[in-house]
Amino acid sequence: MSGDRMKSKRKILAVFAHPDDESFICGGTLAKYAELGAEITLISATRGEMGRRMGNPPYVNRETMPSIRENELRKACDALGIQKLIFFDIRDKMVEFYDSERLIERIGELMEELRPDVVLTFHEIWGGHPDHCAIGKAASEAFRRKRLEGALYYISFGSAMEAPERFGYTKRDVVKVDVRKHLPAKLAAFRAHRCQTEIDEWVWLPDKEALERFGGYEYFLAQDRERLPLVLNGFFDT
Amino acid sequence: MNNINKQKLLKAFAVFQGQEVYLHSEATSFIFVRNFKVWLEEAMIAGEGPFRVALRFDQVGWLRTEGLTHYEATADGKLLLAGYDDRGRMNVALQLGKEPFPE
Repeated sequence: MSGDRMKSKRKILAVFAHPDDESFICGGTLAKYAELGAEITLISATRGEMGRRMGNPPYVNRETMPSIRENELRKACDALGIQKLIFFDIRDKMVEFYDSERLIERIGELMEELRPDVVLTFHEIWGGHPDHCAIGKAASEAFRRKRLEGALYYISFGSAMEAPERFGYTKRDVVKVDVRKHLPAKLAAFRAHRCQTEIDEWVWLPDKEALERFGGYEYFLAQDRERLPLVLNGFFDT
Repeated sequence: MNNINKQKLLKAFAVFQGQEVYLHSEATSFIFVRNFKVWLEEAMIAGEGPFRVALRFDQVGWLRTEGLTHYEATADGKLLLAGYDDRGRMNVALQLGKEPFPE
């Protein structure tokens, strides 16, 4: 896909754990597909209300955190072009202790309703945080059970998937998305998550300098490469 | 949140002593406990900042928290204490309420 608008309205469902997962990990990709006309729905299992970063200097406390982070996420969604946001109201850090069948069911219901062409979620082993792994495991299982069309991809951190062999995958499993034109939107989303990013001075440097800190690509792992047309530079083959 | 002032904090604690209170306690990177109910006998403060606080409860119980730097008595009657590091990250929190905290 080389910048042309997509032939039909494509739908992406992102199933993540905390406000900021969508921006910090794959904000460029979401901004890119939103601009291409995809309809993007984000599930955030929690409001990130048990986070440790409270602004710098701190202006957040444990009880004000849920609404502050919800508002930040709404702003980030605007910056990236995510149209629909759903919270599961699970307490931050408790996703792995939430009834897993119920979680699979809730995600599955939304998958049936939305019929996404692409589902993005965390890898259940390489997710990097217990909440990430738990939501990723549930989303993957829901997708398997529903046997829907489309494809599920695991998001990944930085450029780790330049060497997928370290994680038991091959280059064939990796989709590399060029996000170089969408880094300004990603930066705006980082800044929307103000209480989480104030501690990182580089985010608040003049745009030009801040943008230089981002990689130009984001990487995704296909859950099941056999089911997919081989796409090298994007999720959709249209 | 305000920097802890011992005298003001003692007054804020007085409102909760001698009754049932709901506590939220956390060492942010390690544990949290939310909404455990105790009969609070006494709240004590020590140190010159960061501060240490000990709660004596149910005749046999102690909850000791260190590294506290900030506090706030909220409009809805809760008392929030927290310890922030020099870059705004929470290390520790201790919160008292006469009603449960949102689950």
